[in-house]
Amino acid sequence: MKRFLLRRLYTSITTFFIVITFVFFAVRLTGDPLAELEDDPRITPEVVDRIKSLFGLDKPVYVQYINYLVNVFGGELGYSLHYKRPVIDVICSKLPYTLLLLIPSITLSNYIAYKLGVECGWRRRSTFDLVVSSTAIIIRSIPYFWLAILFLYIFSVQLKITPLFGAISPGKGGFSLSLGWIMDYLWHYILPFTVLTFRASLALIPYVRSSLIEVLGEDYVVVAHAKGVPIRAIKYKYVARNAFLSIATIMGLRYAFLIDGAILTETIFSYPGTGRMVYEAIINRDYWLLQGVIIILTLSVIIVNFIIDLIYALLDPRVKYR
Amino acid sequence: MSIKVGTRIHYLKLVVREFIVIIQLNRMAKAGFCIFMTILLLAILADYIAPYNPYERVGPPLSPPSQNYLLGTNDVGQDILSELIYGARTSLLIGFIAAIAGTFIGVLIGLVSGYYGGFVDEVLMRLTDACLSIPTLLFTIFLVALTSRMTLFPAICSIIIVISLTSWPGIARLVRSRVLSIKEAPYIESAIAMGASSTRIIFRHILPNIAPIVIVALVMTTARAILVEVSLGFLGLGDPTVKSWGMMIHYAVKRNAIILGMWWWFIPPGILISLLTLSIYLVGMGLEEYYNPRLRYV
Repeated sequence: MKRFLLRRLYTSITTFFIVITFVFFAVRLTGDPLAELEDDPRITPEVVDRIKSLFGLDKPVYVQYINYLVNVFGGELGYSLHYKRPVIDVICSKLPYTLLLLIPSITLSNYIAYKLGVECGWRRRSTFDLVVSSTAIIIRSIPYFWLAILFLYIFSVQLKITPLFGAISPGKGGFSLSLGWIMDYLWHYILPFTVLTFRASLALIPYVRSSLIEVLGEDYVVVAHAKGVPIRAIKYKYVARNAFLSIATIMGLRYAFLIDGAILTETIFSYPGTGRMVYEAIINRDYWLLQGVIIILTLSVIIVNFIIDLIYALLDPRVKYR
Repeated sequence: MSIKVGTRIHYLKLVVREFIVIIQLNRMAKAGFCIFMTILLLAILADYIAPYNPYERVGPPLSPPSQNYLLGTNDVGQDILSELIYGARTSLLIGFIAAIAGTFIGVLIGLVSGYYGGFVDEVLMRLTDACLSIPTLLFTIFLVALTSRMTLFPAICSIIIVISLTSWPGIARLVRSRVLSIKEAPYIESAIAMGASSTRIIFRHILPNIAPIVIVALVMTTARAILVEVSLGFLGLGDPTVKSWGMMIHYAVKRNAIILGMWWWFIPPGILISLLTLSIYLVGMGLEEYYNPRLRYV
């Protein structure tokens, strides 16, 4: 277990380093960060120079890179030009909305996909399998944002049973633990959550199903049948257990996909999370905010994947020797 | 590389013939292929099919579907049906070029990493793992937003480059694991014993054996590239100078078409996107089932 932990820690840290290094060079290589100021006739070259030395932009690239690393690890991610506040503050105020959306969603969707996928694989080519698997294939082809638009159009515009936008009704104020506030929050929560979980679980089912089918033909399954092991025990203890290794590998990667889904879903529902913020940062050309969101969201992916791997390693010791 | 041109054409004929057999045998693949060909024809013959020029103002803005404008007009008075037909071109073009480039990168990295092993493998696989664990769309958005600041090349080129740069890691992993098992085969050992060079072994002995998974990966990547392209368009990062389905939905949402109930503006592009992706997935799954019969999707 200790070796597995160290190995996992090593890959997590290298991943984070690769990502932040990549972000640094991507931003520097694609343009001058002060281009807009330099083009502005109201700002004299002297001012531009002052800003350059103030932010250390006149120093060689490796010094800038080291400063950047120090800043990132110190939680200093720059200043949002649109919100006129430090990037880290802006992100921290919005991150809870997204995490409260994503973490229940990933848990539930993995559970649903596991249950339905095992059922489909077990009863393959039955009517049940046919219906679930074809739905999964169709839903996988529908883009997240369009699915969200359909839900919004049907439930909020046509049926008028869910709100049109936001996470809280205007005028309800900030976070409080009163029943009214929580009900209002859940009322706004239900639609984005359903869209995310629905598509994520259906997209996962074919993988679970094919992993299960790979195991079905193994000799020990035939032996278990022959010696009269109860069917339920064969299904969960012999087949699903052994398929779990390859399923865990795929499930570990789902959180990153869900973030992509959250960006699109939150944009449609005007949900005030970090996903919606990505969209706003693009519209407002707020590159420092965009850079900060990417670093924080990637960090959350790395941490969540680490935790998921840890849980799986506890559930199934073979994961450690992968 | 001493294969004669004639032999190469012969190989190509075999591949095409095999593809036709797969399409004929597999109902899923057949259905997918038919839908795909319809959309492809729509894209190719757009000039003849589309009732209007999608870039010109042809009617009153925001008019609902009528006899003159089958799917109504958008906020600047362009015909939505014509926009849809021309939009097929963008998705197909970006999807295919990006998928081919992405698959090429993935196969190359997978081959090198699997064949050489050791330090090269460690570095390449760390990079692949990093790329696999980051949210693809988020990074695509980031890179497209950054490159849109540069005026070096048209937006459509930078979208293609960025999508291909973010779609290779899965393929690299897949190819690498296959190379690792093929590398142990006796015929590779004999090829090494006979003094074949690494390049010869990789391209002459290993590559043909992973061709089936590369073809399947190429098809699946095309579908994913199209989904990424429309998502970018939806977020307003598409090329504003060409019509695309993603950008159509972007403008529809921006002008509150959902709340105003103008379904003819945002429903048809979504249906076409889903049909196109679905058709490509179906063909891909048909191919996968053919190469790996243990796997049955439906």
